[in-house]
Amino acid sequence: MSDEALRSTELRKIYRSKGAPAVTALAGVSMDVRRGERVALLGRNGAGKTTFLRIASTLLRPTSGSIEVFGFDVDRTPEKVRPFIAVVPQEGKPFFHLTPREQVYTYLRARGFGRETARSRTEESLERMGLTEFGDRLSITLSGGQRQRTMVATVIATEAPLLFLDEPTIGMDPFARRGVWDSLRTLTQRGSTILLTTHYLDEADALADRLYIVERGEVLVSGSAEDLKRAVGGTLKVSMPQGAGEIERFRSFGTCVADGAGLTVIVAPERLGELMALAVGSRLTATVGPVTLEEAFLYVVGRSIDAD
Amino acid sequence: MRTDRVVIPRPFGGLSAFLWTEFLVQIHEELAMATSMIVQGVLLVFVWVLNPSLIGVALLGAVVFSMFTMGQRVLNEAAYVRIDHKASDLYLASPLTPEAYFLGMSAGVLLVYLPPVVAVAVLAELVVHLTVGVALLLLGVSVAVWISAASIGYVLSTQFRDNRAIWAYSSLFFNVFGVLPPVFYPIGLFPSELRPIVLLMPPSAAAALLQRAIGSATLPAWEVALAAIGLAVEALALFLLAVVWARRTVRSN
Ligand SMILES: Nc1ncnc2c1ncn2[C@@H]1O[C@H](COP(=O)(O)OP(=O)(O)OP(=O)(O)O)[C@@H](O)[C@H]1O
Ligand SMILES: [Mg+2]
Repeated sequence: MSDEALRSTELRKIYRSKGAPAVTALAGVSMDVRRGERVALLGRNGAGKTTFLRIASTLLRPTSGSIEVFGFDVDRTPEKVRPFIAVVPQEGKPFFHLTPREQVYTYLRARGFGRETARSRTEESLERMGLTEFGDRLSITLSGGQRQRTMVATVIATEAPLLFLDEPTIGMDPFARRGVWDSLRTLTQRGSTILLTTHYLDEADALADRLYIVERGEVLVSGSAEDLKRAVGGTLKVSMPQGAGEIERFRSFGTCVADGAGLTVIVAPERLGELMALAVGSRLTATVGPVTLEEAFLYVVGRSIDAD
Repeated sequence: MRTDRVVIPRPFGGLSAFLWTEFLVQIHEELAMATSMIVQGVLLVFVWVLNPSLIGVALLGAVVFSMFTMGQRVLNEAAYVRIDHKASDLYLASPLTPEAYFLGMSAGVLLVYLPPVVAVAVLAELVVHLTVGVALLLLGVSVAVWISAASIGYVLSTQFRDNRAIWAYSSLFFNVFGVLPPVFYPIGLFPSELRPIVLLMPPSAAAALLQRAIGSATLPAWEVALAAIGLAVEALALFLLAVVWARRTVRSN
């Protein structure tokens, strides 16, 4: 039995539609997700994240390459894969004329769960997503974030072996997002595997064991958030709101990014004192903080865009 | 978590649960339910005013027409929840079988919109005094028309990317095929050269068989056979097509 929950090899997808040029959405993506892992797919708009998730979840056919879920070929035997997966689609919405309680419960029943299990999972899931208070209101009367919570509640209630979540926390407040993170952690502790996409890099940092950064249908880098941050060349960042004009004097310390009048320098801890002395000498206000995944992302993807 | 043992869902697995889901979704649409019989009502009034002796034909026609327009509801619903809600992604990337998704949705819609149709059928019984044979025929052709229409509706629903395009087409399609051919009026009034065509269309075939059964139309044996066999074969073929289609269109290209 395969140890991998998901493995793709040289997966390619070219969208062809009448009267429009062909679009290469995936240009040979190879990745693997081990059982029990939480993996995040990051990338700019149009990078190919949704395309990958849709192929992996049996909703879209690849152009070439192969992809397996729990050892079953997704393209050749999708019906063997479907019992193991659950999907939060990008921009999905619950049925407007069901209440969150009905939405989750009927979904579980449609997936074949018995009444008792469906009922108790529904309550647990609503509770986790903070929906108990709204559980009996039609979804049409809920706010955007509450609807999105209903979608996530619907899918996590399945405790499926492999969950695909496409921007699951979009539009959620910080409390709700943390609720989702906790639930996803609990699910992986219970044995599920999770592949998600997100544009919130703090979320990827907090949640994912490993990340894949995709750009124009190709994997740019993969690894843990820490690996990625190290790749930027330092673990600290110094921000100087008025420093852009002095950028040349700071180049020797590490990566420098000018943004309007401001300047950000990525620096190794050993050289921080020296840099601060220079900043003070230049009468610049400087604040020090840790490098975030967002900066690592901007650095890695920015470098790839520049290279073209 | 066991993933070494696959249990491939049985054909139509999840049907009753998804039917129930769709029923709950539809039952909240009071306005749509209230307006579901308007076209039929208007046409019945027309017939009543113009020729009251044809009201029995028109009442049976209204039942057939109502079953046919269930297909329009399936078309609109399937496209709407797929495009606007991504409900198909949620439900089809799961052990729920695609054919149960199609049939459950169709049957859920039927269940909600059936009561007023039953009322019209009861009215027909009061006016025409249906024999048991005619009542059974009405039941049979209604099922066949519904299956045909729901199957066409589901298959068509997969062909659209935008809901606004559908609404125009779907009401055109279902109204023209349900109103223009002899469904509300006797087939005897229809040009005889064109009769084979309307006898091959599910709603008018069903209406012709009913009209003959209540003595409002005389058809040669071959036309009866054409209508009856045609309706049965079409219903079966369209249903099988929709099942195969539902399975194939889970994955787009
Ligand atoms: N149905 C389609 N037909 C043609 N091109 C498509 C289709 N769907 C997506 N694309 C194109 O494929 C590429 C990848 O799209 P995809 O939706 O996978 O991106 P994404 O990484 O999910 O972006 P986002 O962050 O905006 O959700 C884009 O260039 C997009 O325009
Ligand atoms: Mg996307």
